[in-house]
Amino acid sequence: MAVRHDRKVSILDVMGPVMVGPSSSHTAGTARLGRVAYEILDDDPVRVDFHLHPPLAATYRGHGSDFALVGGSIGLNVDDPRIPEAIRIAEQMGLEISFSEEDLGDVHPNTVRIEIRGASREAEIIGSSIGGGVIEVFKINGFQARFKGDSPTLLLFYRDRPGMISEVTAIIAEEAINIASLYCSRKQRGKDAFMQIDVDSPVSDAALARIGSVRDMREAKYLDRIP
Amino acid sequence: MIESFAQLEQLGAGRDLADVFLETDEQEHAVPAADILEALRKRRAVMRDCVERGKSGGTSMGKLVGHEARLLNEAFQSGKTFLDPLTVKAELYALAVMGENSRMGVIVAAPTAGAGGVVPGMLLALEEERHVDPEKTVRALVVAGGIGSIIALSASISGAAGGCQNEVGVASAMGAAGVAYMMGGTTKQSIHAAAMALKNTLGLVCDPVGGLVEVPCVKRNALFAVHGLTAAQLAMAGVESVIPMDEIVEAMVRIGRALPRGLRETAEGGLATTITGSAIAQRIKDEANARRAEKAKERERAAQERKGGA
Repeated sequence: MAVRHDRKVSILDVMGPVMVGPSSSHTAGTARLGRVAYEILDDDPVRVDFHLHPPLAATYRGHGSDFALVGGSIGLNVDDPRIPEAIRIAEQMGLEISFSEEDLGDVHPNTVRIEIRGASREAEIIGSSIGGGVIEVFKINGFQARFKGDSPTLLLFYRDRPGMISEVTAIIAEEAINIASLYCSRKQRGKDAFMQIDVDSPVSDAALARIGSVRDMREAKYLDRIP
Repeated sequence: MIESFAQLEQLGAGRDLADVFLETDEQEHAVPAADILEALRKRRAVMRDCVERGKSGGTSMGKLVGHEARLLNEAFQSGKTFLDPLTVKAELYALAVMGENSRMGVIVAAPTAGAGGVVPGMLLALEEERHVDPEKTVRALVVAGGIGSIIALSASISGAAGGCQNEVGVASAMGAAGVAYMMGGTTKQSIHAAAMALKNTLGLVCDPVGGLVEVPCVKRNALFAVHGLTAAQLAMAGVESVIPMDEIVEAMVRIGRALPRGLRETAEGGLATTITGSAIAQRIKDEANARRAEKAKERERAAQERKGGA
């Protein structure tokens, strides 16, 4: 029996996205990965480094993945007709860009590590473009994650301690938001920890502020569905 | 959640297959059926636009393809094609979409961009030639997407994961189910149409010349649009696949795993490493290097100028 995915992709994910060609895994998926890095950085990027897993490094240029990765990391959507011009646009914005090859281990062939820096913030993701524009981000700022960008999501960075999950989920329940899935990881017991909460409906700024003010919360970030 | 085609066949017996998929998608992803239909209406329109733009052709990014749709359209318009109009249009529309795709035009990935000509080729040609209500085409897109989402539960939809069977093969299965639906087929007939289409693409490798989505991708989409139509025709006549769809998908996954890396989109085998394929790859590499060298020179010139100005 084949390994089953734990979440079914939607009809609109399969019959889509509407995108700039030529490759859903190399152009649309990579643009979305760039976009995830951009959204997590939450700042104007000044430098972005793309570390491509060898099979992607071998094939990215002919598929316009370089345009797409850069386009996403300056906030363009996958169907934005400016994607073929993205590198020129980014350079005009003063963004420094680099591409290199890096063996990222036993991962999907189309996997990339993205380091992105703004004036005062930085972020790092590792994610795969698994086909049809669908992505799986499995590392965010060094933490294990299971981010697909197909629903509104809370990304919480905090100090590991008992009771954290129940305090956060209590607020979410009070805001009448339904949790679709919850995933936690940490670097070390009692130290830096990470919580990813996929929700069924958008989270308001007020709700996010409440979650952000929970004791030991370092950063509470809300990402809408990645288009 | 519908976890298998066996379950789908039970759940969809005597029911409209699009309704079944709309209901389950609404439950699983909290997207109302009306929103899914509206999004797919827009996507059908994007496909339609893409076909119109693509008919006149134009050189691709890698300069390997671009005039296939124009040539076939000219032959068709001047009465020089010998196949029936449905078949010719299925080929033509698939070529048109893939031509646009190869020029970085806006397309609908169905389920991928590299296989994005198959479904519109089949469905839009059928809509025109058999005078199907466009709203029925939109619902056929629901069916095609639903079939793809069940396949995606166990198979990664990318040539890098399992070869072209995972892309064009899956697209032809999705389209075949959609065609059977448009022609008034039952849920069972849609599933068998998908099964016969997919089964007969197993083993199809992904060996793009120069790593580009151009050769053989563009023409392959046209040929497999027709393949999907023939599978739907068999199903509508009552022909059934001996091997059940669920087992075909499992076989596809196993075959994909068994494919050497060189035949999974890496451009390190098959057509990509033929004498002609290798020569094209070398030319592309040389051109890219020349561009990089030119750019480096430009940067140096700019730096010199800045120095000179200071």
